Amino acid sequence: MKIRKKYLFYLLAFSSSIVAALLSGVDVILERFLKNPWVLGLSIFYFGVLMSLFFSLIFSIKFKGKSLGSITIDPTFSKIRFFKKKEIIYHLLGGAGNAILTIGYFALLIIIKDPSVVLPFSQVVILYLVIIESVTEKNAPTLVEIQSSIIVTFGAILGSVSLTGSISIESLAIVFLVINPGWVLLSINQRKLKMLKIDNKNNDAINIRLWNVIFACFFTIIFTLVFDYYSGTNYFLESFYSSIKHLGWLILVGTGTFFSFVLYIRALGIGKASVTQAVKSSVIVFSIPVSIILAYYGYIDPITADPVLLLIKFIGITLILLGIISFALTLIKAYIFIKIKPGYPIEETLKKLWNINGVNRVCAVAGEYDVILKIRTRTLVRGYENILRKLESIEEIKEFKWQSVLKDWENI
Amino acid sequence: MITAYILINMQPGKTDKAIEEMRKIENIQKISIVTGEYDIVVRVNTKTLDKLLKVTDKIQLIKGVSKTTTQVIEKEIAL
Repeated sequence: MKIRKKYLFYLLAFSSSIVAALLSGVDVILERFLKNPWVLGLSIFYFGVLMSLFFSLIFSIKFKGKSLGSITIDPTFSKIRFFKKKEIIYHLLGGAGNAILTIGYFALLIIIKDPSVVLPFSQVVILYLVIIESVTEKNAPTLVEIQSSIIVTFGAILGSVSLTGSISIESLAIVFLVINPGWVLLSINQRKLKMLKIDNKNNDAINIRLWNVIFACFFTIIFTLVFDYYSGTNYFLESFYSSIKHLGWLILVGTGTFFSFVLYIRALGIGKASVTQAVKSSVIVFSIPVSIILAYYGYIDPITADPVLLLIKFIGITLILLGIISFALTLIKAYIFIKIKPGYPIEETLKKLWNINGVNRVCAVAGEYDVILKIRTRTLVRGYENILRKLESIEEIKEFKWQSVLKDWENI
Repeated sequence: MITAYILINMQPGKTDKAIEEMRKIENIQKISIVTGEYDIVVRVNTKTLDKLLKVTDKIQLIKGVSKTTTQVIEKEIAL
């Protein structure tokens, strides 16, 4: 089945958000039993590894020549496999990012409790992503990107006003120094992994998630052991006892997190990390009903009826949604078909083309043209300044044709 | 695995129906409506050149398609 690429992207990112919002509710319930971020993080990772392994094996089962995973979740998935040498560095960084993020998130959840407050705080990560992408992805942020990320950030801060009527300033330090840098490390490296070719095929989301959890569990164990050593605590051993005691909840969290991440990684393979994060910001909208249910059952403090607080929360959410929409609607994509003059080595030309800002795919082809470029830019002016002017300056290019993409579909 | 771009020229007014037909073809990975010399760009993934030929054939049989230009990818660099 083929659906509009834009819709597929939204479908994946929103599904990931809904699962994440539900999970945040389960985390709050779990936090009642495990009142320490180290124990909570480790216990969740043990089951995260087990459940990811279990589902990856299930998804590897073949049905009519295709794996269950490729039919249901990710068409690029074939079977569970060991990570490749070229993936190690990204798995190490992504795993460390996930470990940092998880411990920070649970520390915040223990302080604040209400998921409709904790989750908006995490959305500030979009600011970091836009800055980092501008450095690593050869694409300077445009005015729209800056505007949207600021709108989303302010929206997230306003949206994080608790439905119970309080805002925690101390937790901002955890958000800005622990959770969001962890998210950036995780997002950027997972995107790099998704873009890698493994045995000439696109890398799949299921194996990326499996190995990310394994590496994240490894890093969390190391961080916990170091913490135990210096503080004289015994959280590492405690996490084993807690895991056995709260088996059911941990299996639920492990399963949910696995699916939330697989959908998120699939979305990352389609859009830029910052845009995916922007759409995933909708998690805060979905976290409101979760908070209401938790308050109803007495897991968090009762919800305020103060109209001012409710208005602030509403403005915050509206700002986030506005930021998301302006992000998503302003991406311009195009193909450029190029003919090269004879007598120039193609490898050199490909490198020159690859180094142009905004180019995200370079294909040497056989046929009427010699090279096809796929480009993404925020504005046509930027496309002209960054791409066409550079193409005109490359001596070996005989002629080129720009074909703007009006609408596109992708196979799911 | 063979990946190729097929650049398609359409007769005016037939694009929407042709896209519907193309969406049913199995080996087509991406379909883009574009402005400029061509009207549609399709990315195809097949196991053999023979299968690529079959996909091209199917596209050419769609009503409204007036010309196809196939560009087989020899080397690719992507983010």
